[in-house]
Amino acid sequence: MLGLNHQEMRDSSTMEKAKISAIQLFALMFLFEMGTAVIISYGIDAKKDSWLAIMLGMCVGIILFFIYYFLFRQYPNLPLTGYTRKIFGKYLGWIIGLLYIIFFLYITVHNIRSFGELLLSSTMPKTPLLALIILMLLAICYVLYLGIEVLGRTAEVFIVILILLGLTGNLFIFFSGNVDLHNLQPFLENGWKPILKTAFLETSSFPFGQMVVFTMLLPYLNRPESMKKVWLFALILSGLVLCWTASLNIAVLGTENVERSTFPLLSTIGKVDLFEFIQRLDVIVVFTLLITVFFKASIFFYCALIGIVDLFKLKNHQQIILPIGCILIFWSMSLASNFSEHIGESRYVDSYITVYFHIIIPLLMLVVTLIRNRFKKNDSSESNLT
Amino acid sequence: MNSAMNRLFKKRKKSKSIYKFEETEIPSTDQGIMAHLDENLANIKEALGNPGDLAIREFKMGKPSLHKVAIIYINGLADKMIIGSFVIERLMENVHDSENIHPKEPSELFTYIKENILTVGTVEDITDWNKMLLSLLSGQTILLIDGYNHAIGCSAQGGELRAITEPTTEPAVRGPKESFVEALITNTAMVRHRIKSPNLRVEMMKLGKVTQTEVALMYVNGIVNDKLLAEVKERLDKIEADEIVGSNTIEEWIIDDFWTPWPTILKTERPDVVQGEIQEGRVAVFVDGTPTTLILPAIWIQFLHTAEDYYLRWQFASFLRFIRLVGFLITLIGPSLFIAFLTYHPELIPTPLLINLTAQRQGIPFPVFIEALIMEFTFEVLREAGIRMPRQIGQAVSIVGALVLGEAAVSAGIVSSSMVIVVAGTAIASFTIPHATMTDAVRLLRFLMMILAATFGLYGLGLGVIVLVAHTCSIRSFGIPYLTPFAPIILADWKDTLVRAPKPFLSTRPRLISQLRTKRTGTTQNLGPSSREHQTTNNQLKRDSNEP
Repeated sequence: MLGLNHQEMRDSSTMEKAKISAIQLFALMFLFEMGTAVIISYGIDAKKDSWLAIMLGMCVGIILFFIYYFLFRQYPNLPLTGYTRKIFGKYLGWIIGLLYIIFFLYITVHNIRSFGELLLSSTMPKTPLLALIILMLLAICYVLYLGIEVLGRTAEVFIVILILLGLTGNLFIFFSGNVDLHNLQPFLENGWKPILKTAFLETSSFPFGQMVVFTMLLPYLNRPESMKKVWLFALILSGLVLCWTASLNIAVLGTENVERSTFPLLSTIGKVDLFEFIQRLDVIVVFTLLITVFFKASIFFYCALIGIVDLFKLKNHQQIILPIGCILIFWSMSLASNFSEHIGESRYVDSYITVYFHIIIPLLMLVVTLIRNRFKKNDSSESNLT
Repeated sequence: MNSAMNRLFKKRKKSKSIYKFEETEIPSTDQGIMAHLDENLANIKEALGNPGDLAIREFKMGKPSLHKVAIIYINGLADKMIIGSFVIERLMENVHDSENIHPKEPSELFTYIKENILTVGTVEDITDWNKMLLSLLSGQTILLIDGYNHAIGCSAQGGELRAITEPTTEPAVRGPKESFVEALITNTAMVRHRIKSPNLRVEMMKLGKVTQTEVALMYVNGIVNDKLLAEVKERLDKIEADEIVGSNTIEEWIIDDFWTPWPTILKTERPDVVQGEIQEGRVAVFVDGTPTTLILPAIWIQFLHTAEDYYLRWQFASFLRFIRLVGFLITLIGPSLFIAFLTYHPELIPTPLLINLTAQRQGIPFPVFIEALIMEFTFEVLREAGIRMPRQIGQAVSIVGALVLGEAAVSAGIVSSSMVIVVAGTAIASFTIPHATMTDAVRLLRFLMMILAATFGLYGLGLGVIVLVAHTCSIRSFGIPYLTPFAPIILADWKDTLVRAPKPFLSTRPRLISQLRTKRTGTTQNLGPSSREHQTTNNQLKRDSNEP
């Protein structure tokens, strides 16, 4: 650790030689899962039982985890784009890797755009959207230039800050006396159908299914054996926190209000009024959103970058940060002409495209690997016989 | 040969271009010590340019045969008292004393003088010309004998030095009241007083081709991390400078990253701080001529700690650390938060307060950011003026600062009084940061944050903080991540960071820094009131004290 020139080490191979610890991976995952999901009206299609829909979504996430975990066990030293080529062959695998990268970049852009729109609508109506997006992307580019290790360490600092923000926010909401648990009753008002529909179509893929992106980061883990514990712990903990927040929103605002508002957490915390002095605590929510979106976009962007480095056999990821950052700026501006179009588009992507990347392709890889392993075993057993 | 080569090169260079400055070597003479005394003396005079402060005392000694002897020292660097009574007097006495028979041969006489006559602390046999000059210039007294090509260097250094005084930049209410001085040996001795262990190692080296500054590395063997020590030595060896002006030059040569505003080497003038830090496995670098000692590696949280923390009760020390952290944050983002709230998010300020603030700003001709910039800049000017001006006119500056800028500017309607409060609060908060290098860094970064807040409000400020934290995470001090133990999280080290746990519970050294002997206390199980037999006496005592 001492006296090593990290720059030199990085230059020597395609993959950054950085290592992230279990705590850092946990922090990254937790911040990632909180990203936008904790702010938006999440799982509200299931009405009062949105918490159940989120829990079910989390269970789907756990099942997905075991698919990813199996693939990771097969290829512990390769990122996702690396083992697509091993499994589907050189050309098809390469194309699938490229599709994944485009998907990751799209989600980066989508996140940044959504956040920019929120800022425009809530606090800075006169600032041009382009300026907000450029600043965000510049910050992300700088942090990613420093590498994944630094991103991990930064996440360690900000997870503490996020927990503090969350605790203060919750404390104030409870002290202000706006929590009405009757809003959450009765249980199963509309039967199981909307719950299952929300759970499988919405909450499972966002944000739990999105964790597929971490398959790109797993080779950097300094203790790969801790990965299972970390992933499950982060998944379950973030599921519980999301569940709690969604229920809190409904308890304070009521189902109708949550359905109507784009960012119910802002309204929830806006109801806090203590001693006529502690009010308008939107800052807490805006900062939470800023931190989580920053990390979510950074992780997607970084994984896309190392994917590109891997696919195109580049020297390091630093040299392509700025060019791709510029592309992302224009992409995010041209993504949609206004907020409602943006929302509609993301609905479409969420319901028709993400499922391939989160479930179908990994599942295919699982099946192909299983079949291949079976053949290999047969081969080896036959050769043993002869 | 050498000079011929030099001449050749000079001619070639001149023919190329007359107007270019030439890269010349610093002239050095190496005649070697001759057997002939007069020649030696002439050479020394020539080498030093026949300076006025060079003192040469020639006399004859020896019985039965007389030998010419010369004593050479530099006035002001050598202690004349010591030279008089322990060198010259001893030599002269021996001449007059009739019973003593001195050896005839100059070389034997040389050894005789060295071993039997000189009564100063240390003497050394010098054969190398440059070494002789160097020891002469370091304050040693040189003794030469006619007919022998060796010299004796006697340690009779002296001259005027500053006395040990109270620390001025890191004062402590309780705790030791001495600080380092300019003389290196005094400084190392001050630490030696505190750690009486054979494992306390001091390694001397000379750096700077011209200045030949003495630099001492100090560490505790068995606690220090060997890799760290090797790294420090390697970086010190890489210094190829003509001059070393104080410890700051060394710092800038061996630092990990020039671009970061954060200080990555701790500077202190307190021997007790050096004592504490090298006990944790760090290395101290003393530089002759500077009272500031370098301690490395340094991590961010160390710059919010003071020596005083360890002389106070732990609860209060922890409270003070919290205060300092708040002071740090206020200095960094206080003014920018104010700007962001007033410019972009007035709706987030509670209404009564907002009305108050807006009323104050009635008639102020500047935007909040410009107003803040003016005031912060004025404060920085005042601060610099306060340091640079002569003591006698200090009163004038403080009157001008307090009255004219505080009162008059507000009543003239140039700045609002709330802005004065914010700027003054920031200034006061900045003084809570104990280490000046950290204060400087925060003072600079504050302006960056203000610009971000003025252009993008809370969003810019938040992003600025994220980027700043990421940057801080990225730098290392001698391989140690700068934000340890927060990033990477090392929970065991948290008991001496934001809080200070009682001493018996600080049972392990910081993990990344020492890496060798981490445990530093015995068991902490049986603390508190002692066991049963003693308890009876304890009760006895209690009963006694309760009786009237």
